[in-house]
Parts: sequence; C-alpha cells; structure tokens
Amino acid sequence: MNTRLLMMMKVKVGTLVNIGAVPHGTRRTAPLAGGTFEGPRLRGTILPASSVDWQLLRSDGVLEMDLRFTLQTDDGALISMSSFGLRHGPSEVLAAIARGETVDPATYYFRTMPRFETAHPAYLFLNRLITVASGDRRPEGPIYTIHEVL
Amino acid sequence: MSLPINSRPLMVLRLTTAATQEIGSTPQGTLTIFPIIGGSFEGERLRGRVLAGGGDWVTAHDNGTLTLDLRVTLETDDGALIHMTFTGVRDDANHYFRTVPRFETAAAKYAFLNLLLAVGSAEIRPDGPVHTIEEIL
Repeated sequence: MNTRLLMMMKVKVGTLVNIGAVPHGTRRTAPLAGGTFEGPRLRGTILPASSVDWQLLRSDGVLEMDLRFTLQTDDGALISMSSFGLRHGPSEVLAAIARGETVDPATYYFRTMPRFETAHPAYLFLNRLITVASGDRRPEGPIYTIHEVL
Repeated sequence: MSLPINSRPLMVLRLTTAATQEIGSTPQGTLTIFPIIGGSFEGERLRGRVLAGGGDWVTAHDNGTLTLDLRVTLETDDGALIHMTFTGVRDDANHYFRTVPRFETAAAKYAFLNLLLAVGSAEIRPDGPVHTIEEIL
C-alpha cells in the first residue's frame, strides 16, 4: 500500500455526553470545541457547531468511532468529512488515556478511514479519495495524521 | 509530528458475479447491483470460499466515479463464517479503485478481524473482480 500525507488534524474535544448502555454497547458523543488541519494541499479550521464524534464502546472492549466534521479551508471552501475508526489496546494504556495522560500512540491501535465530500472546485480531488488516519489521543483531543491511499 | 501508516497483506479475494440488475437512475446516481454467487479468498492467516447470497451495490455518479457497497459472507476452510462489508471508490479515468473492507465474526480464531481496519486495491478481470486487501497496522 502506498500513501502520501494529506493533512494533520488537531482536534479539541468539548464535554463528553454519556448516553450509556444501549443494546449494542455503551454509547457516548464527543462534540468538538474546535480544531485545525494543515497539509500540503489544504489547511483551515474545523467548524465546531456541526462536528461531533459518535462513539460506541463494544462488548469486546473496542471503541468504534463515527465521526462527522465540517472543515472550512483558509480560502473559504466547506468540506464534509465522515470517518469510521477503531481504538483498542492494553487496558493499562487505555486507562492512562482515560485519566487524561499523554501516552505513546504506538502502544495502542487508533486508526480511522476518513472520507470527504465537497462542492468546491479547488478541492474536488477529495471526493475521489480513500484515506487512512493514525490517531494520537492527547488530553485535549486527538491528533490525526491523515494519509491519502495512492 | 506526523505518524506513519503501515500495512501487511490480509487476503486476495476473488468474486464471481451473476448478471447485473440495472436499477437505473436514482437520486444518488445510477445504481447497478452485481449479485455475488461465489468466489474464494486466500491469505496467510485465513482462506476459504465466498458463499452465494452476496452483492455489490454500485452507484455511478455524475463526476465519473463509481462507489461500491458490498456485502458477502466468507466461509473459512475450517468452517468459520465471516460477515464482510465494504465501501469503495472506483475512478477508471485515474486508474484508482480502492476499498475499505470491514469484518465481523463470532469465531474466536478469527476475532482479530473484528479489531482491524483494512484497505483494498481492486481490478476487474475477465473472470470477475479481484480485491487485494491489506490490514492497516
């Protein structure tokens, strides 16, 4: 598999909303307080009003993420990003993350597959891409390195 | 600091399709259904056959790309059943055909499939589509 860097995305998470035990796991939502993204071909901010990560903690201990962000580039384009992801790892590592500690992202699995939709002519290439991201959960929110699958 | 992304081979999936069902123009695009009636998969950690009773819902869009929505059941050579779904993008003008498979299984031996994300690269051969799938590490 060949890839190239699409962008780095820094996300600031707001207050988590715990929905609780639902039929297929434990559900919570993580609304965004803000964020930025930057790469060779695009950069800008994440609009917090419409950007939320819907999370489901499965019975096998895996956290499933279903994320919808609206990105605004520095030249005014709006891009809708949706992403499915998985986070899992050793219980002591996950417990450290839950305590708000910074841990080495190589010690757990945090991967997502962002897809993009835009109408802006400068960014139409995003509509045709499959991408893969590595996540690094920091106390204030995740940092994603998003790679274009070539 | 940007994080690297690595992968390793998971399987090569070969699908056998029946005559297409042309649904036609829908609000999302032009929908064609490819019934999947069989096939095989093979990798270092799993191999077996594709059960009949699957399909690929393919939508052709105005921008020239196709999007896939595929569901099949895999049966390993030791009898485990694996539910496999994937979406994907096919852009023939740019020779780009990539997919994002997902797996669900109840078989303990194959539970590692429940924990991974994967990326596939596909091509259409005369005897059907072939998907080369890699695990995202």
